[in-house]
Amino acid sequence: MFKKILIANRGEIAVRVIKACQELGIASVAVYSEVDRASLHVQMADEAVCIGPPPAVESYLNMGRIIQTAHDRGVEAIHPGYGFLAENPEFARLCEKEKVVFIGPNSRALELVGDKIRARRTMEKAGIPIIPGMKSIPKDIGEFDQEARKIGYPVMIKASAGGGGKGMRIVYSEDELRPSLEAGMREAKAAFGDESVYLEKYIEEPRHVEFQVLADNYGHIVHLFERECSIQRRHQKIVEETPSQALDPQLRQRMGDIARKVVDVSGYNNAGTVEFLLDKHKNFYFLEVNARLQVEHPVTELATGVDLVHQQIKIASGEKLSLKQEEIRQRGHAIECRIYAEDASSNFLPSSGRILYLKEPKGPGVRHDCGVYSGSEVPIYYDPILAKVIVWAETRESACQRMKTALDDYVLLGISSTVGFLKDVISHPKFGEGATTTGFIKNYFEQWKPKEASQEALQLTLAAAAFDDYCRSQTVAPAFGFREKETLSPWQSLGKWRIGEKD
Amino acid sequence: MEYEYSLNKALHKIVLEKKGDRFILHYREGSFEADIKIISDNLYSLLIEGRSHLIYIARDKEKKYIFLDGQSCIVQMPGQEGKRFDTGEERADQGKSMVTAPMPGKVIKINVSEKEAIRKNQTLAIVEAMKMENEIKSPIEGQVKRIFVRAGDLVDSEKPLLELEPK
Repeated sequence: MFKKILIANRGEIAVRVIKACQELGIASVAVYSEVDRASLHVQMADEAVCIGPPPAVESYLNMGRIIQTAHDRGVEAIHPGYGFLAENPEFARLCEKEKVVFIGPNSRALELVGDKIRARRTMEKAGIPIIPGMKSIPKDIGEFDQEARKIGYPVMIKASAGGGGKGMRIVYSEDELRPSLEAGMREAKAAFGDESVYLEKYIEEPRHVEFQVLADNYGHIVHLFERECSIQRRHQKIVEETPSQALDPQLRQRMGDIARKVVDVSGYNNAGTVEFLLDKHKNFYFLEVNARLQVEHPVTELATGVDLVHQQIKIASGEKLSLKQEEIRQRGHAIECRIYAEDASSNFLPSSGRILYLKEPKGPGVRHDCGVYSGSEVPIYYDPILAKVIVWAETRESACQRMKTALDDYVLLGISSTVGFLKDVISHPKFGEGATTTGFIKNYFEQWKPKEASQEALQLTLAAAAFDDYCRSQTVAPAFGFREKETLSPWQSLGKWRIGEKD
Repeated sequence: MEYEYSLNKALHKIVLEKKGDRFILHYREGSFEADIKIISDNLYSLLIEGRSHLIYIARDKEKKYIFLDGQSCIVQMPGQEGKRFDTGEERADQGKSMVTAPMPGKVIKINVSEKEAIRKNQTLAIVEAMKMENEIKSPIEGQVKRIFVRAGDLVDSEKPLLELEPK
């Protein structure tokens, strides 16, 4: 087992990995950009090193600097988290060359699955069902035009190097194609440093169902069942759950078998996710392999009882996978809600600034993976994910109930967040029925606004504000900016006294 | 003591009166008595006719962020309301010609030049924040009067990007 791991990431996922390191008795090294000095991952790690200015290209994407830091600190392995360098084959290769273990797939497999076009070709050859689309990356915009007509509108623009909705666009008609391509390419370039995009058929009313897989370095592959991730905004997941309401045991088994085959065909090792689109006739198509730990991995952990980060680290260190397919079970129901710093009532506009106050939800079956705290600054430079609430319960119905309660118990003040929006999503009757397709947010939440406060709530809010100002007006402010409230404290009214002293 | 706040774009007056260790609050025609306990700097517990309410509060200059019963809102001192993020539509309705950044971010591209004629909803600029591109669209038909920023500039929210001249 490793003695020291560097975590090449920030936010909640860096914190998640550091916790796993602590549990396994492994020392952790955090890296951070200049704006992240006060971040939670820096606070929690055993060691922390600044790797550059705020823009990700100069810090969290700075491979040379990260490898150098790994050497300087005597690190044996690097966990990339998700995003940033997680699916960058060049980085995986660099790690291999520099004799630092990359906690993820080998660079060849990463390269194959990361090249979406080559991956599709490989899968198609292996008899795995795929969506109609381009077979190569065109050099010329004219080719896109032709291909789009051949595939038939609507088509989807996708970044060759990426995921997470970055660079992705749906195009409904020919005149939208060029501006969408330009925007998609710019976004792809900014997010992944590679502007290649391609087109594929856009399947309407689809569900996004993915399978978690684990493969050790010796060819032993298991899947840990599915995650349903259809609730998306901007093609980016926001609510995930397991099991999926759309699968029956036969379909689940078939998809699980295919997922393992995908892993086998690509020579993939470590943790990964095989994404499928499932149409309303229960046809499923291979989409891509996410060659990393996913944001939504905790729902699988809660439903199967397997700690995926522990498994990743063990596999990377050369251990054999002790899990057997027939022993892995899905138990109960798990749901995750992603808390983003975004204003859901204003087209999910990102919101940066200071979190003035945070109270994390607690309770039986509630997990909160979090990268922020009361007083932390949310910078403009990175993905706006702040935290994730994950619940587990015996049934889907009680899991929904538990999630609602947890979100009610979630206090985040100072910046906009998706908490209120998510509560309405979970409470929506269609969500309750399990009728979740990727069009869910667009269909039911297009012009979402938070509910108006009740008269009682209004009254209480004003009462609290008045009381707060009353207390502040009673405040005495002695030197050094030290403040203590008279209403709070008997110490000021007591006069001079000493413990144990008699009058 | 009388307090006045702006909340949900309306002004509200509330009177708070200390009575022994309790408080009487007068709001509109009604009034109620509250037993208020300070739990922490950010948490007040209110008991009103035996019903328990937990109220979370955070302060930022002239703003108070208040959360209760699963909902949060911003209470401001009157006359101190910061400008809301207008959408293009709202801006046009108000006949405004200044286009500002909707959030802090980086200007990726300016799609127009000064003196250029523009259509309503034409993309004027692209501002990126947290890795997402946001297109800034023209609220009006007219022409570009001035451009204040360049590609690569970091902008704060409400920072003027362009000035337009209605047709």
